[in-house]
Amino acid sequence: MAVDTLMMAVLVLIYLAATLVIGYLGYKKTKSSEDYLVAGRCSHPVIIALSYGATFISTSAIIGFGGQAANLGMGLIWLTVLNIGVGILLAFVLFGKKTREIGQRLSAVTFPDLMCKIYKSPLLQYIAGFIIVVSMPLYTAAILIGGARFIEPTLGISYTTSLILFALITAVYVVFGGLIAVMYTDAFQGTIMLIGMTVLLALTLITVGGFTAGCTALTNMADLVPKALSDQGMTGWTMMPELGSPIWFTVITTLVLGVGIGVLAQPQLVVRFMTAKDDKSLNRAILVGGPFILMMTGVAFTVGALSNVYFYQTSGRIAIDAAGGNVDAIMPLFINQAMPGIFVIIFMLTLLSAAMSTLSALYHAMGTALICDLWGRGRECALSMKAHQAGIVIMMVLSTILAFLLPINIIARATVMFMGLCACAFLPAFAVGVYAKAPSTKAALYSMVTGAVVWFIWTAFFHAAEAKPLGLCQALFGKVTLLGSPWTAVDPIVIGLPISLIVMVVMQWQIGKAQPSAAAA
Amino acid sequence: MIFGIPDFQILLGYGLSIGLALACIVYGLLYWNEGDGSNGS
Repeated sequence: MAVDTLMMAVLVLIYLAATLVIGYLGYKKTKSSEDYLVAGRCSHPVIIALSYGATFISTSAIIGFGGQAANLGMGLIWLTVLNIGVGILLAFVLFGKKTREIGQRLSAVTFPDLMCKIYKSPLLQYIAGFIIVVSMPLYTAAILIGGARFIEPTLGISYTTSLILFALITAVYVVFGGLIAVMYTDAFQGTIMLIGMTVLLALTLITVGGFTAGCTALTNMADLVPKALSDQGMTGWTMMPELGSPIWFTVITTLVLGVGIGVLAQPQLVVRFMTAKDDKSLNRAILVGGPFILMMTGVAFTVGALSNVYFYQTSGRIAIDAAGGNVDAIMPLFINQAMPGIFVIIFMLTLLSAAMSTLSALYHAMGTALICDLWGRGRECALSMKAHQAGIVIMMVLSTILAFLLPINIIARATVMFMGLCACAFLPAFAVGVYAKAPSTKAALYSMVTGAVVWFIWTAFFHAAEAKPLGLCQALFGKVTLLGSPWTAVDPIVIGLPISLIVMVVMQWQIGKAQPSAAAA
Repeated sequence: MIFGIPDFQILLGYGLSIGLALACIVYGLLYWNEGDGSNGS
């Protein structure tokens, strides 16, 4: 459908102006360091839910993973199951309440600070802060690339200008308004995302003749699955891949488990729990959070898969062929071709909202980690607002430089890598930390370092999707990966998380067993 | 074949997604006023 570019540019500018005004309101409410770092610990439940959801869902979830569903089929719906079951219910009920209560009691202001205060270990804070400062720019750069790729054609400006503008506009309200501004704008952006995805679902179902008709048509297209995919275990878009096949490993271990579990220990999301005044706020946030995530990922995966029906009926080609083999181009192409012009604009605002809400949270988490957890740890200046503003600017500049260096097809891959690393390094120590009566510092240190190291080794030497572009294995051993199939398709989280967990549990148990006897002696 | 989907695992995925979203709503309503105060429920 033809889109009025002037209208689109005007609406995008209105959206950006509204975002800055809301950010300014957050700035006006920010009076203290606690406001800047944890939103004064009194956020409204709806704002917590929308901020958590909008931070969680980036352009990667809609464009990257929607495209993956168009390519690999509806099996990705299992990621939605984990997004809601693990990312919302389990996260809020099991971890959220404990995190809020401990964070408030110990006056923790960042994720590494929380770990430090639980385990009484500054070293743990340094390590967690270091992992965040080193790894989060990768994810941030991917979000920047996604946003710039959208702004470039929308506003008709160059990719370089788009990327710098996107980075600067988002940084302005994060730097000045801190977490209150971030969460206010997240709520606004989350609302736009909800509207956009609801309309997208309705129009897609109308386009393919309803859910049942669309799925039936998709089922009947099973013989159109490309040979390259069917050879690797794909049997159709409405079927799960063959158990144990390379595509099954990719769908289940990388896409479903990697992102589904990785969400539990993401520093920028854990901080959202610490902004709640009480458990009642978190209970109420769950009510909004579950349906919100369903309308984000559930809709993206369903629409992505059903786009094959549209492309086949209109051009005789499946989605990936229509998009010229570029998975990331499937969703934008479908929106542009199948949707009315006005919806193309709404969807573009949805994407911009998804990108900005995630980006602002990452800026805040990286900047506070740099200042509070690394540079100023244990010092009074670690809580200075000016210092944190400087930290956010430094990390914003570093991420922007990285965005210019990375390839533009890194979006979904960088998301999975970051979430996998967070889970391997942080999850066991975080889980034991908030639940154990006497959590062992030594166990947490070993678990965190082991998780991060194993994740890196598997990423660089075994998992083909990363080992090949990194080239480290090739340079050292003369081959792309150290092991053959199916290990090349097994995501690092499947190896790193269990090992990190075993280290944590065994050491916690051993130390716990030794303590009573030591006391008795 | 239900809703045009022949694979039970896909149907189960959709069922669980919707069911869990509903569970979030029910949980939020059931515990709407629980957990007051600043130091946990």
